[in-house]
Amino acid sequence: MSVIESTAAVVSNRRVRVIAVMMGVLGVFSLIVFAVGSPSVAHSSFLFNPVNLSESAPWHVGTLTLNSRLADLVLALIMIGLAVETYVRRPARGVMVRFGGVAVLFLLTLLIWAARTPGPSPVSFVNLTALLIGSSEVTMVLVFGSLSGVMCERSGVVNIAIEGQFIGGAFVGSMLASTTHNFFYAAIGGALIGGAIGWILAFFALRYLSDQIIVGVVLVTMLGSLSSYLNLQVFTPFPQYNTGNLAPNLAIPLLSKIPVLGPVLFNQSGFFYLMLVLIGVISFALFKTRYGLHVRAVGEHPRAAATVGIDVVRVRYINVILGGAIAGIGGVAFMASQGQFQPNYTSGLGYIALAAMIFGRWRPSGAVVASVIFGLSVYLSYTLTSYQVPVSLYILQMFPYLITIAVVAGLIGRVRAPAADGVAYQHD
Amino acid sequence: MRLELRGITKRFGSFTANDRIDLTVEPGQIHSLLGENGAGKTTLMNVLFGLLHPDEGEILIDGEPVRFANSGDAVRRGIGMVHQHFMLVPVFSVTENVVLGFEPTKSLNRVDYKRATEDIVRLSAQFNLQVDPDATVENLPVGLQQRVEILKALSRDAELLILDEPTAVLTPQETDALMAIMRSLAEAGKSILFITHKLKEVRAVADVITVIRNGRVVGSAEPTATEGELASLMVGRDVELTVEKSAFSPGENVFEIRDLVVRDDRGLVKVNGVSLDVRAGEIMALAGVQGNGQTELVEAIAGMRHVESGTILLNGRDVTNKTPREVLDAGLGHIPEDRQRDGLVLSMSVADNLVLNTPRRAPFARRGTRNLAAVHDNAQKQVRDFDIRTTSVDEPVASLSGGNQQKVIVARELSRPLAFLMASQPTRGLDVGSIEYVHRQMVNHRNQGNAALIVSSELDEVLALGDRIAVMFDGRISGIVDPTTSREAIGLLMAGTAGATDE
Ligand SMILES: Nc1ncnc2c1ncn2[C@@H]1O[C@H](COP(=O)(O)OP(=O)(O)OP(=O)(O)O)[C@@H](O)[C@H]1O
Ligand SMILES: [Mg+2]
Repeated sequence: MSVIESTAAVVSNRRVRVIAVMMGVLGVFSLIVFAVGSPSVAHSSFLFNPVNLSESAPWHVGTLTLNSRLADLVLALIMIGLAVETYVRRPARGVMVRFGGVAVLFLLTLLIWAARTPGPSPVSFVNLTALLIGSSEVTMVLVFGSLSGVMCERSGVVNIAIEGQFIGGAFVGSMLASTTHNFFYAAIGGALIGGAIGWILAFFALRYLSDQIIVGVVLVTMLGSLSSYLNLQVFTPFPQYNTGNLAPNLAIPLLSKIPVLGPVLFNQSGFFYLMLVLIGVISFALFKTRYGLHVRAVGEHPRAAATVGIDVVRVRYINVILGGAIAGIGGVAFMASQGQFQPNYTSGLGYIALAAMIFGRWRPSGAVVASVIFGLSVYLSYTLTSYQVPVSLYILQMFPYLITIAVVAGLIGRVRAPAADGVAYQHD
Repeated sequence: MRLELRGITKRFGSFTANDRIDLTVEPGQIHSLLGENGAGKTTLMNVLFGLLHPDEGEILIDGEPVRFANSGDAVRRGIGMVHQHFMLVPVFSVTENVVLGFEPTKSLNRVDYKRATEDIVRLSAQFNLQVDPDATVENLPVGLQQRVEILKALSRDAELLILDEPTAVLTPQETDALMAIMRSLAEAGKSILFITHKLKEVRAVADVITVIRNGRVVGSAEPTATEGELASLMVGRDVELTVEKSAFSPGENVFEIRDLVVRDDRGLVKVNGVSLDVRAGEIMALAGVQGNGQTELVEAIAGMRHVESGTILLNGRDVTNKTPREVLDAGLGHIPEDRQRDGLVLSMSVADNLVLNTPRRAPFARRGTRNLAAVHDNAQKQVRDFDIRTTSVDEPVASLSGGNQQKVIVARELSRPLAFLMASQPTRGLDVGSIEYVHRQMVNHRNQGNAALIVSSELDEVLALGDRIAVMFDGRISGIVDPTTSREAIGLLMAGTAGATDE
């Protein structure tokens, strides 16, 4: 009705086209580079067994062997078809789902191409289940980060400091895990440091109405340097405080034996299960409870919330601190999947987590789906060099960031952020 | 509930918005507050509702002094408020908005939406305020949003209801319905504080009238007083309620639309083949009940909404589906319907808002740098000419009263050379003195040989200004008549009954 919305409607129509074009570019890329780029006799073979379960598993999924060119051709055509459909029909809903689907298909065509063996008989394999398990570590961190983002931004505060909360959580977590040998204490420590960083952000943003993005970036920069310094001062001379922190996997009986996905979802560390619980809890809290309604009101229209007696500043403090704690635990989880703290190890995952949150339209469920896609592409960019990919590792590592930029640029005008996101609130 | 305000004083910096105000509202009484734009009415109500804290004075409920830390406290003491600028969360449903802050809950802190919806359905039947509880508020026309606000206040068992200009955005029918509700609430013993600039309404519904000027109570009046008496009490001088127009001598077509088709955000056709032309030296008034496509038509003309088919010609240039910038450059002046959303940048100063669409032009900028002195001088002049009440031109426009915000937009648009002025509800929320002034400015603009399209749901305004009156119904022009036509005939066109023979 209003002009702003109608302008948004016009713009969003254009955005749909932009997104469709992006989908089309991915499809054509797959077609030309991956499908046509594979020799017509090449084959790609996939395994579905986790390395550590392959002998004992009661089931055995056979290898899947595909003609590389044919398979990529079919998938690329589906991608192009989806792009054309989106461009022509400009559907009001489900654009993001289509984009996500095309992104997944793109990764698949890439994999099929990377796994190709020139002759008709398979010689090397890509183990898909192992790949998913590998990427689940990155995905897990992204989920913690994007859930943190959802918590903060739904209440109207932009938390750019997620990266810093990861770093802080990882550092403290490593120290606590090596001294107490208990990951529970490590998680608590990570939550406390993450929450404390959240509190600093909230304090400047809510008390002094400072620019939230600037405060966030300053915090990340500070924590990055601080952790490098402390690493040199503490972990280098006393390596015993930063070793042997690999969180053990806890296989869930029966469930972990489900073919293909069982080992990915149900043979994981405690942090992974904690993440699954958090996804459910936050979705429930945000969309079903009284508190969640208040949070969303505060993020959309703080003045309206204030007129019904909701304490805007308090709600924001609580959410930013809780969001910080969640990101802090994410940092511990990442440290525990690597076994130790390393400076700069998170290398921008906090920002990718924010992109995942945008892609997921500020919903926990959407953020999870986006995190899976981003997690896969980050992981692939690190592992593809072991396949026959004639591209420099450094170029490949740009890949997830390119996807992030494309997503944020293409979607940011289409999806609607909480209206008061990042806007300081001052009562009279 | 018996409410008493004693010596309420509220200052913003060195500016005193409320100066030792005394006011008593008896149970079952409809107490009307009259006052110019910026007199301090909303400020006083915000103090009463716990949104602002008074610097001096006290509030007594049934003789007992109370202090409100926030508006939650006020609501718990039985005070409900319908705000001048709606306090609704646009992306929430009607139900979510009505229960916000006072939600019925089930186990695990869950909101009991089933019960909430039942309560709303019951309440809307009881007060005859029909609204779909599941609709998203931003998709509702303003009249319905107003209903949601009233339901929200009533749902909390308000004993005292504050209505801050609730009728500014209502159609005459909706206004009548609201006044009936107010009367029935008063009969049920509830007290009502009613703010409006429409003197007719005051005379129709008020039991007691208090007039505020410059933050002070300057007197009271009986509902039997004439409109002229009320107007001069408010403004402190006599007000001309009609405008003089020079003889009508139209020139060439300045503005022309042909077979325009426009859809709303949900894809429904809202403007269905409208053709219209406006000549130099002419005011075309577009009348009609709100929601018949006027909003979409105006947005399409201003370049803010996609035109599906048809053409828009301005000054001989085709501006169909051009950007707002291009349309403005072609000579359009636009006073939008929703001032806070489309007309102002609330956080920017009065001075900057006054040059919002000409910041890059001389004298406000030279070689890419702003000329702040010129911006400032311009602001001083407009504030004086249009009687914009503000403590300084550097204040953010958000701190101005509703009517003064509207004056900023009117001043900005009318003070630059225009080929064509398009104004949507230009005097919404203005006091009688300001309406007089704005009407005179628009007539001047026309007398100088310029064209104007004025969209208004106020029949008085349409009749006072229009050289021709086009009536819009259900996306079409149901008739174009001259201003000597009777109100009844126009009313029939507005209801679509007279135009039905066209089809
Ligand atoms: N937060 C604020 N900061 C500074 N000045 C303010 C603030 N709020 C209101 N004022 C000033 O107080 C005066 C009274 O404003 P108020 O909104 O109460 O007027 P009003 O009587 O409701 O007028 P209207 O009929 O136009 O709505 C105005 O001059 C306004 O500029
Ligand atoms: Mg007011």
